[in-house]
Amino acid sequence: MSTTTTTTTVPLERKVLNENDRLAAELRAQFAKHGIRCLNLISSPGSGKTALLERTLGAFDKAKRVAVLTGDIQTDADAQRLARYGFPVRQITTAGACHLDARMVSKALQGWDLASLDLLFIENVGNLVCPSSYDLGEKVRVALLSVTEGEDKPLKYPTLFNSADAAVITKIDIAEPCGFDRATALGNIHEIRPGIRIFETSAKTGAGMAEWLNYLAEERAKRIDG
Amino acid sequence: MHELGIANSILEAVETELRPHPGARAVKIGVTVGAMSGVDRDSLAFCFEAIVKGTPFEPLVLDLREAAADELQLSYLELEEPTP
Repeated sequence: MSTTTTTTTVPLERKVLNENDRLAAELRAQFAKHGIRCLNLISSPGSGKTALLERTLGAFDKAKRVAVLTGDIQTDADAQRLARYGFPVRQITTAGACHLDARMVSKALQGWDLASLDLLFIENVGNLVCPSSYDLGEKVRVALLSVTEGEDKPLKYPTLFNSADAAVITKIDIAEPCGFDRATALGNIHEIRPGIRIFETSAKTGAGMAEWLNYLAEERAKRIDG
Repeated sequence: MHELGIANSILEAVETELRPHPGARAVKIGVTVGAMSGVDRDSLAFCFEAIVKGTPFEPLVLDLREAAADELQLSYLELEEPTP
């Protein structure tokens, strides 16, 4: 007797990144439990995520309850740069992956006393595309755009800007020599994400840092009631 | 690179779905991809074919369909089960 087979179709109706979303939800619950405000910084390579964080950490009182996870495909150069400021920093090396996912964050947090933190920065792998699809359990997603990249980036990479809670235009000190059209850039960001908070900073001169730090203080204050 | 991760997630989902069906073979997996999902369908199809090749899943078919906005969903799994 020959074996007969039956074909069955199982309806699934769930997200492909369901597993990542589940882990991200766990992280979010963990952050809420410990009163941590988590920020996920996303931008293209070289747009100044590390420099913004350096300037930010440098402005913080040493007693501040802050930590940083920084993701890169290779090297721990960013962690070394950021560790100078005396706050806990861990490097996540993705070994080829172009984004951080919730599992990597969860693993990197192991052994850290989360109860001792108020703010957690996650510096994603430099990439305008992939990181925007992966929820890391953050409460605040920050999209960075440097003046050298061009005003059209929010239109070209809408997924990131559309999912961001705040945008930071970096390297504002060299806006003029770069021929950066500020009004167009702001207009493009608002077109993709109407009403988003936008900061214009220079990690080099410190321009706009006061507004950015003020925003972080506001976010930190919201950490308990979410 | 991103599509490779997505392809892996799809294959992991197929594995999970097969568990309650011992002896079954996955024939086709349906995935809907939104234009704003940040996923390129051609690239995803290419990556999926590459990771399935040489595995017991071969010749599993990836059925990609266009969807709205940033949707990226598993829609169905077609199985072939031995008739009892």
